[in-house]
Amino acid sequence: MLKKLLLSMFASSVMLFAANVGDLSSVKTLKIDRDMTKMGKSCVECHAKETPGMVNDWKESRHGHVGISCIDCHQVKKDSPMATQACPGVKGTDVYISLLVTPKTCERCHPSEVKEFQESGHGRAGLQVHAKDGMQKLMNHFEGADNPHTKGSAEATGCMQCHGKVVELGKDNRPTAETWPQAGIGTIYPDGSVGNCASCHTRHKFSIAEARKPAACSSCHLGPDHPDKEIYDNSKHGHIFNAEGNEWKYDSAPDAWEPGDYRAPTCATCHMSGIGDLKTTHNVSRRLKWNLWAPKSNLRDGGLDNAVKVWKEEGKFSKGNPVAGHPDGSVAARAEMEKVCSSCHSTLHTKNFFEMADKHVILYNESYFEPAKKMYDELKAKGLIAQDPWTDEFHKVYYHLWHHQGRRMRQGALMNGPDYAHWHGVFELQQDIRELKKIYEHRMKTGKID
Amino acid sequence: MEEIKKSKSKVIVPLSLVIVGLILGLIISFGSSIGVKHTSDKNYCSSCHTMQPVTNSYKMDVHGGAGKHGIEVKCVYCHLPQDSMANYLTTKVKTGLHDLYAEYFKDTSKIDWQAMREHRESFTYDSACLNCHTNLKDSTESNLKALIAHRKYFSKTTDKTCVGCHQNVGHKDLGLYLPKN
Repeated sequence: MLKKLLLSMFASSVMLFAANVGDLSSVKTLKIDRDMTKMGKSCVECHAKETPGMVNDWKESRHGHVGISCIDCHQVKKDSPMATQACPGVKGTDVYISLLVTPKTCERCHPSEVKEFQESGHGRAGLQVHAKDGMQKLMNHFEGADNPHTKGSAEATGCMQCHGKVVELGKDNRPTAETWPQAGIGTIYPDGSVGNCASCHTRHKFSIAEARKPAACSSCHLGPDHPDKEIYDNSKHGHIFNAEGNEWKYDSAPDAWEPGDYRAPTCATCHMSGIGDLKTTHNVSRRLKWNLWAPKSNLRDGGLDNAVKVWKEEGKFSKGNPVAGHPDGSVAARAEMEKVCSSCHSTLHTKNFFEMADKHVILYNESYFEPAKKMYDELKAKGLIAQDPWTDEFHKVYYHLWHHQGRRMRQGALMNGPDYAHWHGVFELQQDIRELKKIYEHRMKTGKID
Repeated sequence: MEEIKKSKSKVIVPLSLVIVGLILGLIISFGSSIGVKHTSDKNYCSSCHTMQPVTNSYKMDVHGGAGKHGIEVKCVYCHLPQDSMANYLTTKVKTGLHDLYAEYFKDTSKIDWQAMREHRESFTYDSACLNCHTNLKDSTESNLKALIAHRKYFSKTTDKTCVGCHQNVGHKDLGLYLPKN
């Protein structure tokens, strides 16, 4: 009796597990008979055997529900630069497909999302890497060691997995190993479009719930230079999310995801979601007052980002608009962010919080960045910075001051991560500025780099 | 006698003027309607050498008669606005004069056709597309793809135009026909 009971419990737990992970074995014999074209059905049925993981994702997606199938996104016109007949299912027919699916495809049904995205800082993520010589030199010369056998590896495995790169095609119109696969949010495609919706809504499920969880952002927004995920975890918002976030509701319709579905905000709530009277937006820069990533934090009064516009109109790589934000400027941006806060907090709570966080940004600008920059400029003018800056102690400390601890200090303050605002932030900075002063005074006195 | 003559001429002169005017008006309007018709289809448009690639790709397209039913949509149905007669005619005269000028006084071999495709919004008109595709607006879940893809367009929450998404509609595989730069 006990044996039978245990056996049935084991069997039911196996079934439960299988149901939860998506039953790949059933995908293999998938037979679709719904309002899809003949070709659409045959793609799904064949790929259920060939690539069951992809079809499993699709069958759990909203696209699957509304009858948007493989070919609706992967089919391209014969004259597309990406057109191939690499799949045996379409070889010899008049159907051409592309493995790459670009924002031009997504915007056929989601035009506002793509437009807002392209006007945000995310839009320039890939373009600016090409426009900044320093970044090119860092990837290829300093990190890539100019090794002819491993060309592009630093870029392909690291940088562009977040930033995105120009996808290049081989002779067969299929992407090259140096440029694909990538998840870069600013990917630049052969059809001229920019962006990568799959960075947050991963293939082929394109889940809104997934994009609303902090994990969507934290594959890029982590680490020593912008530990946004860690800062979030350090905040009370992250504390609540980590304690009970697995019980929240993440799949409410856009603009209808409100407190009650969750008890604390995730990244998406503050930076993108429609909440209260606020409209949902894919412009992640829109609600930001400062550019906290820059060497010196400036107010975001520059309007929308223009890198994608320049790329489309002039075909040029550009650094974009470092003070891009709300089209009506930083005051409007902050007002919108305060509206987010007011869904849960009192006005006094919100105002007091931002007053002190803003002061921490000003403290960084005035007491750390500006004096450091002044010393750097003076040394440079006197030829007292080494030709290869990465061998120069002053340059290294200066770089870490703004790019690492300086960002942590500011981002920690504005996202309420005390350990980052303080120990990983301003505490490190007060050490750095002393170090810089020491090197500066020594070099000015001796007139040489030791 | 004199008076009768005078009163006769008083009637006859304006009357004959009206009749002459009517005839002239008929001739002119008949002539211009023939002219408008004559300058509207592929035969006239493709009489310029420059227009050959677009005509060839058009002939291969559903809009150019290559569909199941052989319906041919004239060049001007898409390339002139269909919202009002006045707008239609003024745009026709303007673009017609521009094309004539370009054909005879400019070096047409220097036209960057691939780049021009990026400005397709400026020489096609949504009013033209919607003149025929009227049912799109009323599509429901019976035609899900049409409903979902066009919902934002008809609710005016996007500034995308028809050719913003349907890039070489009317000209099948246009990129293969146009000269590469």
